[in-house]
Amino acid sequence: MKLLTKSSLLIATLSLFLFFFMGIIFFQVLKNMSISDLNRELSDLKELVVDYLDDDMAYEVEALPGIDSLSVKAVVSPERVEETFGDTLMYDSREDQFKTYRYIQFMTDIEEEVFLVKIFKSTTPTDQLVERVTLMMTLMVILFLAGIFILNRFIFASLWKDFFEAIEKLKQFETSKEPVILGEQDIEEFEELRQVLELMTRRLAKDYKELKEYTDHTTHELQTPLAVIKSKTELLIQSENLGASEMKCLQAINTSVNQLSRLNSTLTLITRIENRQFTEKEKIKLTELLDRHLELLDEHIDLRKIKVEKRYRDEGLELLMDQGLADLLIANLLKNAIVHNIEGGAIVLETRPGSLLIKNDGPPLEFNQEELFTRFVRDTRRSGNFGLGLSLVKKVCETYNFLIDYSYDNQQHMFKVTFLD
Amino acid sequence: MQILIVEDEASLMESMVSYLEIEGFRCEKAADYHTAVCVLDKHDYICMLIDLNLPGGDGLELVKLAKENQSESGIIIISARNTIEQRVEGLEAGADDYLVKPFHLSELVARVHSVARRTRMKGGEVLSFGVINVHPEEHTCFVNQKQIDLTRKELDMLMLLMANRNRVVTKESIADYLWGEYGGGYGSYDFVYTHLKNLRRKLQDAGCPDYVQNIYGIGYKFSLDKSP
Repeated sequence: MKLLTKSSLLIATLSLFLFFFMGIIFFQVLKNMSISDLNRELSDLKELVVDYLDDDMAYEVEALPGIDSLSVKAVVSPERVEETFGDTLMYDSREDQFKTYRYIQFMTDIEEEVFLVKIFKSTTPTDQLVERVTLMMTLMVILFLAGIFILNRFIFASLWKDFFEAIEKLKQFETSKEPVILGEQDIEEFEELRQVLELMTRRLAKDYKELKEYTDHTTHELQTPLAVIKSKTELLIQSENLGASEMKCLQAINTSVNQLSRLNSTLTLITRIENRQFTEKEKIKLTELLDRHLELLDEHIDLRKIKVEKRYRDEGLELLMDQGLADLLIANLLKNAIVHNIEGGAIVLETRPGSLLIKNDGPPLEFNQEELFTRFVRDTRRSGNFGLGLSLVKKVCETYNFLIDYSYDNQQHMFKVTFLD
Repeated sequence: MQILIVEDEASLMESMVSYLEIEGFRCEKAADYHTAVCVLDKHDYICMLIDLNLPGGDGLELVKLAKENQSESGIIIISARNTIEQRVEGLEAGADDYLVKPFHLSELVARVHSVARRTRMKGGEVLSFGVINVHPEEHTCFVNQKQIDLTRKELDMLMLLMANRNRVVTKESIADYLWGEYGGGYGSYDFVYTHLKNLRRKLQDAGCPDYVQNIYGIGYKFSLDKSP
């Protein structure tokens, strides 16, 4: 969720709660005030009515201003009723509906007779007032909230501008490896963030550079003596006066030095993948990639009389990755399928939407399946490889968050690469 | 037939010089950047072999310098730097080829020949060996003036052997030269043998004597004189 959305939502929920409870309290207070106003008015009217009744002007009482209705009844029982206020509904024939009224009832003595008097006053005008005020308030609250929302948007954009800029620069750091340098900030927290970022990325850039140089130097330092051994061996082989046993020694040296130089370059490659030094991204069609590699491996496939079966269920499957790493991934998976195959065995290549399956015939693993992608774990029945191919595959998969699974079923090894996107 | 070799590792320099001198090339040696700058124009080299990590400077600058001087020499960079970016950088600076250390001397010779052909003879040269004539530019091969049909890999193999005539070319170097990254690590180099067998059969079918000798299983030698 975006920061703006989150803060807007928070403001909205909090102010809704706040205004809801405030609204209830406001409404209650207003209602109570209007009731006590009515009560006071009724009390005033009561005195007026009592005066009129005392003066025996009952016929005029009905016409007193402010009284909506009046009932005067003679009471027989001597039981006294206290003065009380109350609410009641009365039928209004003019508007053909019931309306609410506030009344006061009290007892009064007129010429030795006791009367129960009830004075009614319609609450409709005050109710209407309360209603209108509440409506006004709600409208204002809505306007206020909308204002806050729009303001929040503007304030947010201007306050966090530098923050978003920093994020953009950080994103670029991955490819450029240049320290993230931002202008000075007037907000204290952002200034702190800026300093931390600069310090951190400077160190990262420095580490990256040093690591790169280290790798570069190691390769160079190892490659040169290897080149010397290799060239000297080749020169020695040219000697005319060597016997079979010397030649055998030379062959062993030659084979080993070639293996060693391959090992060295593969280890360098793994380090470089781990350092994320392959950053180019291009669209690569998987089926074309597979076909190209099959062609390059033609000799190896033919030599062992391996049958290749293509099941391209998803012809258009495209990967967005570095070309070199894509080559590495496919080359090593295919190499694995060839080297660990049996004479005259089969390789099945299957593309499905979002995944690639490579199956090959072969005897079961002689080590634990979990160790398959670990460096230097290899089938001891074969010499000449170091068990680095699959760890290369694993590294490439890790770089792009591809999933790689292995299973063995029915005399067949199966590797499945799932391209998550 | 002068070649300039710029390489700071003395042993490696020595190996390259001895191998190339048997081949009939004369070698000018430079062990550091400044020496190299001094001898850059000394001869009209047919090829320059330039290492990139040099005492006193970067080999890439030498390549650029040679190009600025309008040198017609072919340039091969020999370096331990092995990333695609570095290769591209080298070729963009004006090098004709890029060979990664450690390399096979036989491959070096083949590439020197090929670069020299491209820059000097403008590709129009014919390579001859006994009754075999190869036109590298047209990818054609003639035995006793009769064209024979070779695959691209067979022709490349033939040219590698011809460039290293009278030398033992190891199976590994043939595999690396023809298949590159796809050559090694497959458990055996039998596919080299299979290819060579096909090449030999095609040559002999056309009436060519068998010039190939198998040397103790280590590699092959191409020579007119079959007695080892």
